[in-house]
Amino acid sequence: MKDDCRIGFYICNCGTNIAKVVDAEQVCERIAGLPGVACARAYKYMCSNPGQEMITRDIRERGLNRVVVAACSPRMHEPTFRKALEAAGLNPYLLEMANIREQCSWVHDDPRAATAKACDLAHAAVRRVRYHQPLEKVEASYAPATLVLGGGIAGLTVAVELAEASQPVYLVEREGKLGGNVGRADLTAPYLDSARDILAEKIARAEASPKLDILLRSELVELRGFVGNFRATVRTTGGPTRDLAVGAVVVCTGYQEFDATRIERLGYGRFPDVITSFELERRLRMGRLETDDGRIPRYVSIVHCVGSRNPRYHPYCSRVCCMTALKYGHEIKSALPAAMVTDLYVDMLSFGKGGEDFYRRTSELKTMFLMYEKGDPPRVRAAEPGDDCGLLVQVNERLSGEVIDVPADLVVLMVGMEARADGGDVARTVGISQDRQGWFIESHPKLAPVSTATEGVYIAGCCQSPKDIPDSVAQARAAAAMVLAHVAQGKIEVDARFAEIDPDRCSGCRMCNELCPYTAITFDPDERRSSVQSALCKACGTCVAACPSGAITARHFTDKQIFEQIEGVLAWSSSRSS
Amino acid sequence: MEFEPIIVGFLCNWCSYTGADLAGTARIKHRPNLRTIRVMCSGRVDPTFVLKAFAAGADGVLVCGCHPGDCHYIEGNYKTMRRMELLGQLVRAYGIDERRVRLEWVSASEGERFARLVDEMTLELRQLGPCKLRPTVAALANDFDGLSRAVTAQVAASGEVTHG
Amino acid sequence: MADRKLQVALYWGAACGGCDVAVLDTDAFILDLAAAADLRFWPIAVDGKYDDVEAMADGELDLAIFNGAVRNTENQHVAELLRRKAKLLVAFGSCAHLGGIPGLANAASRDEIFHRAYLANPSLEEGNVVLPVTEKKVASGTLEIPKLYRRVHKLDDVVPVDYYVAGCPPAPEQVKAVLKAVISGKLPARGSVVGCSERAVCDDCKRRKEEKKVKRFYRPWQVLQDPERCLLEQGIVCAGSVTRSGCGVRCPNSGMPCRGCYGPTAGVRDQGAKFISAIASIVDSRDPDEIASILGQIPDVMGYAYRFGLPAATIPGTARSL
Repeated sequence: MKDDCRIGFYICNCGTNIAKVVDAEQVCERIAGLPGVACARAYKYMCSNPGQEMITRDIRERGLNRVVVAACSPRMHEPTFRKALEAAGLNPYLLEMANIREQCSWVHDDPRAATAKACDLAHAAVRRVRYHQPLEKVEASYAPATLVLGGGIAGLTVAVELAEASQPVYLVEREGKLGGNVGRADLTAPYLDSARDILAEKIARAEASPKLDILLRSELVELRGFVGNFRATVRTTGGPTRDLAVGAVVVCTGYQEFDATRIERLGYGRFPDVITSFELERRLRMGRLETDDGRIPRYVSIVHCVGSRNPRYHPYCSRVCCMTALKYGHEIKSALPAAMVTDLYVDMLSFGKGGEDFYRRTSELKTMFLMYEKGDPPRVRAAEPGDDCGLLVQVNERLSGEVIDVPADLVVLMVGMEARADGGDVARTVGISQDRQGWFIESHPKLAPVSTATEGVYIAGCCQSPKDIPDSVAQARAAAAMVLAHVAQGKIEVDARFAEIDPDRCSGCRMCNELCPYTAITFDPDERRSSVQSALCKACGTCVAACPSGAITARHFTDKQIFEQIEGVLAWSSSRSS
Repeated sequence: MEFEPIIVGFLCNWCSYTGADLAGTARIKHRPNLRTIRVMCSGRVDPTFVLKAFAAGADGVLVCGCHPGDCHYIEGNYKTMRRMELLGQLVRAYGIDERRVRLEWVSASEGERFARLVDEMTLELRQLGPCKLRPTVAALANDFDGLSRAVTAQVAASGEVTHG
Repeated sequence: MADRKLQVALYWGAACGGCDVAVLDTDAFILDLAAAADLRFWPIAVDGKYDDVEAMADGELDLAIFNGAVRNTENQHVAELLRRKAKLLVAFGSCAHLGGIPGLANAASRDEIFHRAYLANPSLEEGNVVLPVTEKKVASGTLEIPKLYRRVHKLDDVVPVDYYVAGCPPAPEQVKAVLKAVISGKLPARGSVVGCSERAVCDDCKRRKEEKKVKRFYRPWQVLQDPERCLLEQGIVCAGSVTRSGCGVRCPNSGMPCRGCYGPTAGVRDQGAKFISAIASIVDSRDPDEIASILGQIPDVMGYAYRFGLPAATIPGTARSL
């Protein structure tokens, strides 16, 4: 160990959250006896101002050069305590936390066992912190231009917001026109304003902005570099391939609709009068609410949750279909008051502003609601010659427990949203991850909803998960705000935790080269050495574990630091009585 | 007193550690036998860490990462999957019961699953008993204590021993 | 110093004799050594008794070169004796350095080894089972043979070591390097592996290195190799990347994969664990079953990982041996 360590140890009672199970005094006493520990204190709320001041004062007055705080999860208050160190002029990376709340006092009842565990975790933290090194953040410039992928409602919003803030934007759209899926809709729920109007306003602003470069029939083929300093290669069909310098990328690539032919019993593709919600939107836009052979439908059946909330297809809710289905009821009843509209639904999810009110109003239109069991969608068949309709929709009605044949001239399938089939290519190109359903993953669902694993790459709209227009626009504007905040600074601080290759130890074996998901490792064929471009590195450490020469160090997660933790957690426990 | 195993856990910051925190915020009680070490990604887990934990007296080692396809670092967990497979072969060669080393995928939303996993592994290790792999070079002086009874008994049974 | 010859002892512990041959393998240099040094003790080449060493004053020897692992009471006794009598003690060759090939005995228990050697050996004559005992009273007194330890140990497990010379056996260049250093008095930092690089064998290996992605592993004889390309990239399990360089890339240059006898590089704690981490990392699959089947093509993982260094591993032997 380092002889000159003067460690301050602080254990938080967190009111009674920690102290009612963990004997903080006992932990203090045991930790105080460890080599290098200069002081050990317990306090009611370490994260409070007096708690932080206690640390800063001790650093100044007692000459502490390392701090361990045993408290809540570092995911909660590590930034707080790092600031306390900085306030006393100590490098923030000389802090280590022991998580004795979320992972100890909140989950264990037995005070003796919980206290023993807290001691072990604190011991490990003390042993680890001895090998902490002061780390300095690295600064890089931030290019003002932004690349926006996708010209749907989210992408348009991002692009317009940035361009109108006088920042250059490249809006890349794969199709020949802007608008995305919103461009395929007629009216929007719950206020029944026209999708066309919403889009037209945005597109007009986009086209009018001198800062906004719209690249239609184009796609991103390669993205190199790092936050603030990306180089994007964009290829335009029948046009030039461009190399763009951008500081940030906002991915707004949207969704695709569920393929209704996958649920055979719905009859989509077999019966021309079974249509998807998008096909109905098209008919509504054209003002032709009729069957395939041009008749006015007397019976319209709307099937909810097609592909959504179904364990065999997509387990999640697509969020917009219930409201859209209610909108259809409204539009059909307005156009054809005599038509009988039946909603076959699983649950009515009319959440959100104006949702419940819209549900109440449309249900007053005397549409019929029949409930079916999740995973047991209705079965569509041709009606008998004597029947008064073209199709019969058989449903196992859940509330009555009866099998009901619903007459229909037109069956509308509320097809759910799914991640785009080419989402994986986009994810790989820009270096973001996808969940099991293929949706792009945000850094934190609550605290960082538009950031991603790659710094400088943001996501907005339905590529992240199904959402309605207000949510997409809100995310888009959030992403634009994130970009503008960085652009305003003109520079970026790169996290001090990254991997480093010691050129004196690198053997040029190239074992690590293919492992980095961010292509942060480059190989110099002349020197025969690999090196890490620190700004690209996300500090996962997978190359560190692989490096056979031991030439790669994970800053703040070094082998030595982790070895110390391993020995620390076991030093007292493995000598237990058994 | 019942044997209480100590499990060293290596949890990735983004999924599993967050899942463990979620078990906390949701107050999902579980056995206090796990000692967690946070890493940024399960891909950081060098097999040396696992061996080191056993050498330092752990009764079991639990490595947790994001579900395949969900990795915060896109595919770090696939590297973990491969390393743990080969490490598993070594662990078996060492004569360490393979139930003592587990690789599990725990997402940030699986607090309940995390808690059950800790309980399950604790109970399993209780039945297996302590892992006596803490080597002590200090015991060298007493390293030799003659042939064990097992061999001696075998020799006696064969009845044809000539003492050289 | 100029008027006084170097006082040198060489000893073999649990070893095959190859290290002693490696000293002789320095060709004409051996004559320089003979001119510069008095070989006070060298059981394989020069007649001598332990009593002669016991009789020396502490520190009387300038250099003791110990090859072989520490396997029994005799090895330990001589290790301690030479440590006391010599100013510099060198762990020479893989066995003294890391435990070496004899160290693989730590995969089994001592009982199993005895059982195999003395009771279940296919070459045993039926009805003629001889089991060694360590003490036997005879008319003239008590006879003793060394006691076998449960495990094989490397030299620095029992005594402090000043320098290490890696290799099974060490390359003649290293042998010369260590002897020259002692003769000239220009000694490297204490504890260093003399005459070796800080980097791995790959650094000196001239084979072309490209993309490392492996779908299938081969034994050297199972595949027609590209003599220009990295063996590992061809699926031939080569330990070069986890092994300290200094041998002159002897094996890969001869078309054979490195087996790891020089031990881990300076930055690595556990050669075998790194072997596992590195080799598994480059397997080109995301499917658990396929991964298991590809990695299953590597036979005897422990043997590959710790061929020359099981006693130096984080866990120095199997559960049975401990």
